[in-house]
Parts: sequence; C-alpha cells; structure tokens
Amino acid sequence: MREHVEKLLEEGKVDAVLGQRNLGGFPFPFIYTKENISDTAEDFVAGMRYPMPKIFLAMHRDNPDKTFGVVVRGCEERALNEMLKWNQIEADKVVKLGYACSQTQAEACECREPYPTEVLLGDKVDPVAKSERVAEVDELDLGARLDWWKSHFNRCMRCYACRDVCPVCFCKECSLEEPDLIPTEMLPPDMTFHLVRAVHMAGKCIDCGMCEEICSVHIPLRVLFKKVRDIVSETFDYTPGKVDGKSPFNMLGDAVEFSPRPL
Amino acid sequence: MSNQEKTKFEPKVLAFLCTWCTYAGADLAGVSRLQYPPNIRNIRVLCSATVSPHHILKAFAKGADGVMVGGCHIGDCHYLKGNWMTVKRMNFIQDLIDFVGLDSGRLHLDWISAAEGPKFAQVVTDFTKKVKDMGKAESTSAGLADA
Ligand code: SF4
Ligand code: SF4
Ligand code: SF4
Ligand code: FES
Repeated sequence: MREHVEKLLEEGKVDAVLGQRNLGGFPFPFIYTKENISDTAEDFVAGMRYPMPKIFLAMHRDNPDKTFGVVVRGCEERALNEMLKWNQIEADKVVKLGYACSQTQAEACECREPYPTEVLLGDKVDPVAKSERVAEVDELDLGARLDWWKSHFNRCMRCYACRDVCPVCFCKECSLEEPDLIPTEMLPPDMTFHLVRAVHMAGKCIDCGMCEEICSVHIPLRVLFKKVRDIVSETFDYTPGKVDGKSPFNMLGDAVEFSPRPL
Repeated sequence: MSNQEKTKFEPKVLAFLCTWCTYAGADLAGVSRLQYPPNIRNIRVLCSATVSPHHILKAFAKGADGVMVGGCHIGDCHYLKGNWMTVKRMNFIQDLIDFVGLDSGRLHLDWISAAEGPKFAQVVTDFTKKVKDMGKAESTSAGLADA
C-alpha cells in the first residue's frame, strides 16, 4: 500500500490521498500529500470507522479539478461506486486504494463482501452470507415486530446523523426535513421518518452500517437497511455497490416482471 | 378488538385512482348504480405512477386503515410504462411495511380499466371487508404512549 501511495503522489497521478492516521494514539481521517508523506510512518489504515466516502465527497465538491486517492474498505468502495452511478463524483477524479477488513469486523458487520475488488493491504477474510439480526426480526409475528421497532424508534431525537453520515444520502434537499411529510413538532418522529429513508435506500444502500454506528441512541438501523437490501436483491435481483447495473427504481426495464399481489 | 367492536368498526380506506382508468371505472360504477361501501375516499391522480411511497406512508400515518392504488392495465398506461414502476414500488413497500410490523395486507394495488365498473365495485367491496376484518390499523407513531 505504502509504495503504491508514494508512487501515485510522486508521479502526480493523484493530488492527495485520503486515509487514516494515528495522532496521539487515536485514529483520525488524514490527507496525505507529496509534502507530508515522508513524515508519516503509518499504513493509512488506523482501524477506525469514519465516513470516508462522505469526507471524499465533500473534498471532491470543493475541489472538482483535483484527483484524490481514497483508502477504502469493501463497503467504502461500494459507496464510491454508487456515488459514481448517481453522478455525484467524476470517475477520473478518484483512485481507490483497497484494504481488507478483519474477520472480527466482517462478523460484527455481518458483511457479505468484507473486501474491495482490489486489495492492496490485508487478506480477504470469509464473508458472512446471512444476517442473523434480520432473521431474528423475520421470526417475530407482525405485532411483535411493530413493538420491537417502536421500542427502538421511540428513542429517535431526529438529529439526522444517520442521514448525514450515509454515503448514498447526498440530496441537497431532503424529504426528511419536509414538515408536511413528517411533522416537526413531534418527538420522537413518526415511524414514517425511518420508512421514508428506507424507501430512499432501496437500490442504493451498500450496507456500510455507518447509520447505526453513529446513532447515539443505538437504533438498530442497519437491520432495517439490510432488510431493504435483501428485498431489493431477492425481488429485483439487484445489489447496489457494483460498478455496473442500475437501480430497478431508476429504470423501467424491458418487460413487466411483476403483478399486483392478490387481495 | 372484540367481535362486537369489529362489527361496529368502519375502516377508513384511501384510494389513489388513475384518472384515465380506475377513476373512470369508479365513475362508471357510480352511473351504473352499483353498490360499494362508502368507506372509500378517492383521490384522483394523473397516473398510478405519480403515487409516491411518501403518499402511502403519509396516509397510514394519518390514520388510514387501508390504502388502495388503482391503475390502468399493463400496456394501457397513458404514459406508456408508468404503471411498470407502480407495481415495482408497491411490491417493495409491501415487503418493507411487513418487516416493521405494519400489515402489507392493508395496501392493495389493482389494475381497473374505465370499462370495469363492476370490477371496481367488487374490489372496493372486498378490500373494505378485508380491512374491516383486520380491525383498526396500528398507529405509526413511535411515541411511548402508542408503543
Ligand atoms: S441518528 Fe438515530 S437519533 Fe439521529 S435521526 Fe437517525 S435514528 Fe434518529
Ligand atoms: S448502511 Fe446506513 S449509512 Fe450505510 S449506505 Fe446503508 S443506509 Fe447509508
Ligand atoms: S433521506 Fe432521502 S431525501 Fe434525504 S438525503 Fe437521503 S435519499 Fe435524499
Ligand atoms: S395512466 Fe393509468 S396507470 Fe398510468
């Protein structure tokens, strides 16, 4: 990884590289440049989960002419791929520098692809095919499911952190802030708040889990969005995060493959 | 809900009807003097595809016990393929609301043409009965009082 990054910076293929760095014993997102690269001994990966794609998006919007390298995990690469597909970033302005997650991380995330397509650092570990957390909710009957979700949603304080951290929530105007849709005078917000986001995540969520990680009241948001992903992949045979393919909600297709469900 | 409450319970059913087909079908049912339950409140839309998931979620949040979307048969949509998207969305929302414990049976999509007055009356009758048997819809409020 190190040689690769040094070479990219040296040859001017990238203007800077976004990675992480240990500062005073704590990992931070860090921008490596030709000037500072020789002072840094680290491996660009400090083990912490930061919203790297979202940080890159901000850098890209502020510096549209610059090319950046981004050190990415599997999910972060998928996020960049979605940003590309939704025309948020320019393909030739980003160079992905991939590293594999640990087995512990993959299991904690119940991750189906804990590595990017090209791995420069670390070894690919076993993916986790099925989410036990989703299965646990699936096993409940309708009433118990509703109670379970409400017992979590009732802690929501509408801080919007889940949206702000999400790599595929990049809209300039957000429906969640539309008072006619979700009245603002109510806390916790109506379940509609989470369901609207769930609808918007269909065909977009790449299962990075940042929403759940940032939620300060520990709402199991990832379970909801994992399910959204499952529905989309089972119903439409589409998995967000790949370079090719388009969201089934973004195109009509060549044939009607569905019919209304019977009464 | 007890059985007695259920018999008394009159569900609120909100229907989004495409103006080119189902709305005209409802009109035909009307002029043909076909009987159907008065529980339904019709909202006329330009195409079933203009019904956003937002509208459906909002309807449930506002206390609808059932939501119906009526569109043109596949191939007859006045915007050619609008209803192709409608059916994808509806399938998705049904699975989504089931996962959070709101019953997808309270959401119904049907294709009803302008000529299908009797079908309109039948679908509304059957759907209203189904929703009535299900009882009042659960509140979507996440507040503790309702949880
Ligand atoms: S981060 Fe948590 S508390 Fe904040 S809006 Fe999202 S779900 Fe609600
Ligand atoms: S897991 Fe959460 S933060 Fe990540 S893409 Fe999905 S919704 Fe967004
Ligand atoms: S919640 Fe929806 S409207 Fe808001 S930023 Fe995300 S995708 Fe956009
Ligand atoms: S015009 Fe009737 S469904 Fe599109």
